[in-house]
Amino acid sequence: MKRYFANKKAIAVFVAPALLLFLIMVFYPLTQMFVKSFYAWNGLSTGKFIGLDNYIRLFDDTVFQTSIKNGLIFSLFITVFQISIATVLAIAVSNIKIKGRNFFRIAYFLPVVLSITVVCQLWLSVFNSEYGMLNRLFELLHMDYAQDWLSDRHKSIYVIAFVNAWQYMGYHFALLLAGIKSIPKDYYEAAQIDGASTVEAHRKVTLPLLSETYKFCLILSVTGGLNAFTNMYIMTGGGPGTSTYTLTYMMYSSAFRAYEYGYGMSAAAFLVIECLIATLVINKLVARERITY
Amino acid sequence: MFTQNFKKALSLLLVLVLMTFMLAGCAEAKETPTASAENNTNASNEPATASDEVITLKIYAQYADEDTKVPYDYAIEELAKVYPNVKLELDIQAQDDGQKLQSYAATGNLPDIFQIGAAQIETFKESGNILVLDDYVKSTGFGDKVFQSAQNLLWNKDGHAYAFPYAGNELVLIYYNKALFKQYNVKVPETYEELETAIHTFNENDIVPLAAFAKEKWITTSLFDVFATRLEPQGIKKLDSGEGKATEEAFVKAAERLHHLVEIGLLADGATNMNYDQAAALFYEGKAAMFINGQWEIAASTEKLGDTVDWMFYPTFSENQDAKMAFAGGGSAGGYAVSPYSEHQDLAAEVAAFLSEKYCEAKHLYRANPLLAVKIDPSLEPVNPYPPMMERLSEVLPDITSTTAFAWGLSNPQFKVLIEDQSQFLLTPDYSAEEFITEMNKSLERIHGQ
Repeated sequence: MKRYFANKKAIAVFVAPALLLFLIMVFYPLTQMFVKSFYAWNGLSTGKFIGLDNYIRLFDDTVFQTSIKNGLIFSLFITVFQISIATVLAIAVSNIKIKGRNFFRIAYFLPVVLSITVVCQLWLSVFNSEYGMLNRLFELLHMDYAQDWLSDRHKSIYVIAFVNAWQYMGYHFALLLAGIKSIPKDYYEAAQIDGASTVEAHRKVTLPLLSETYKFCLILSVTGGLNAFTNMYIMTGGGPGTSTYTLTYMMYSSAFRAYEYGYGMSAAAFLVIECLIATLVINKLVARERITY
Repeated sequence: MFTQNFKKALSLLLVLVLMTFMLAGCAEAKETPTASAENNTNASNEPATASDEVITLKIYAQYADEDTKVPYDYAIEELAKVYPNVKLELDIQAQDDGQKLQSYAATGNLPDIFQIGAAQIETFKESGNILVLDDYVKSTGFGDKVFQSAQNLLWNKDGHAYAFPYAGNELVLIYYNKALFKQYNVKVPETYEELETAIHTFNENDIVPLAAFAKEKWITTSLFDVFATRLEPQGIKKLDSGEGKATEEAFVKAAERLHHLVEIGLLADGATNMNYDQAAALFYEGKAAMFINGQWEIAASTEKLGDTVDWMFYPTFSENQDAKMAFAGGGSAGGYAVSPYSEHQDLAAEVAAFLSEKYCEAKHLYRANPLLAVKIDPSLEPVNPYPPMMERLSEVLPDITSTTAFAWGLSNPQFKVLIEDQSQFLLTPDYSAEEFITEMNKSLERIHGQ
């Protein structure tokens, strides 16, 4: 192994294809995005360098403010929902006393493999104001909670976030379950000997030892929330008005609907920086030390 | 030593790769062929298909429903008779705000002939991705066949022709269920006040006053435009061109009154999340008294509701009772365009003109649509007689005093996005007319530099 790592040519040969692909598929588009964010560009002509004008406009744009706010709401909502429920379910399914564990394991993961379009259409029919199952259920129970779930400018972002959180909770569940399974049984036996109850054992053993998995889950859900696009594209088209815009949706709308690619790129640049900061902060604050058993 | 050399080689490789791509990205757009744009002044009167060689032209066109399939199929049949050696390879147009066409243009893969709307023409013009058709309009005789009232559809505001239009100045209509109006003893509203009364009556009887598929933002734009035309015949077109301000009385009143009607229950619950099928079902099933759509809805509504459906003039505002004949909707310079990079430019232009003409024939023959851009052979009789609503509309057409534009006919893409988003916002009860005006005004100042 040592000899292998000493062979620099071999390393270069093996790394080069991946590096080249990364440069072409990720680094180059990112560079272009930052460069074009300083241009007034319609996507076809050469474009005109306008310095920081796009960024100055961004901070004065109410759509940008809505997009930032929605990204943060979306991130927070799906992070809390997915990670908390996934933790409870993963701990429950990891318990050998629970019957039908395999069924639950598959059932919780099932929405993840469904097409996002199918999931959105399913929930669109549930949330339909006129015929939707949810409003009908409230009517049946004589509860005054029926409302325009997706036509309310303040609530619709939460509804869309819920749909996303519902679909991808199973992914976090699978990650956490795998994490729990990798914790040696000795730790729980030791906790039991020390007189810890099951809840205490999970609080003192499981949760701390899952910190690296949590870090990964956090990065996924926070950046996934900031990047959200498909759910709102299918469910509300960014509406009503611009109330369910996120930065990705704003970029799409500016570039592909208004043909202001330069402005769209500035929103995208901000999104990249936002995701980078979120990732750095999570890396800095969560699971700073590597856990080995 | 090796490490240093390796690092140098790797750095050099990285720099070279980056430089290559940077240069590629910063490269100028492809030089427009000499025959394109203003240089293209030599369109020949000779048929462009002199030899027996079969020429395949790529075409990017709508082919989604009866309204688009029937005219296309008819035009292709007719094309085979006149141009037997021309074969069209259809690439079906995606409903994607022109993204696919934009990508074709950006990657130099434009089809020979493509359908294009007004806003995208502006972008294509700037980048030299659309052929100026002025000479072909003359050489093909297309210009002579265009109705006087449809000249605005052929000629862009810069005085050039970029596409051969086929659709005429189409209109936004408010349809109503005569049986429901009679059942609840409601007068077909002619004024804003009568519309308010109708809304109250229908709401009291659990009938949705107006069904609108407001998830689609073009219809929310048209609904606002209907109200704007009550005091300003140019409607949103005035804002699109930069000649008007959102703070003008016509637009302020339109926003305030439309929003007021929304507050008192003009639309169904969740209207801004309702698609066409859902809204149309409300109307067809007698759960909604009125329905807003383009005049192309006439055929479907007649089929579903028979003689219980009709269209009404938009209710007028007390400040201007003369707005009865001012209609929302209209046309814009768009239709079949030609790529300046086409190998068979002359032939593509001829075929594009031919297709547009045949589309008009098909619309008249099979779709009972008299709103056409081009005059057709008067001896051609429609396969089915016009429905009564269309007959009535045909009678009214000569008296129409003004039209505006549909969202896809707006020439400024930034304004199009703005009005689409803001008009949908206006249809939600908790978005005020003041917010609408403020946001419109702020954005219009930026767009038009007012």
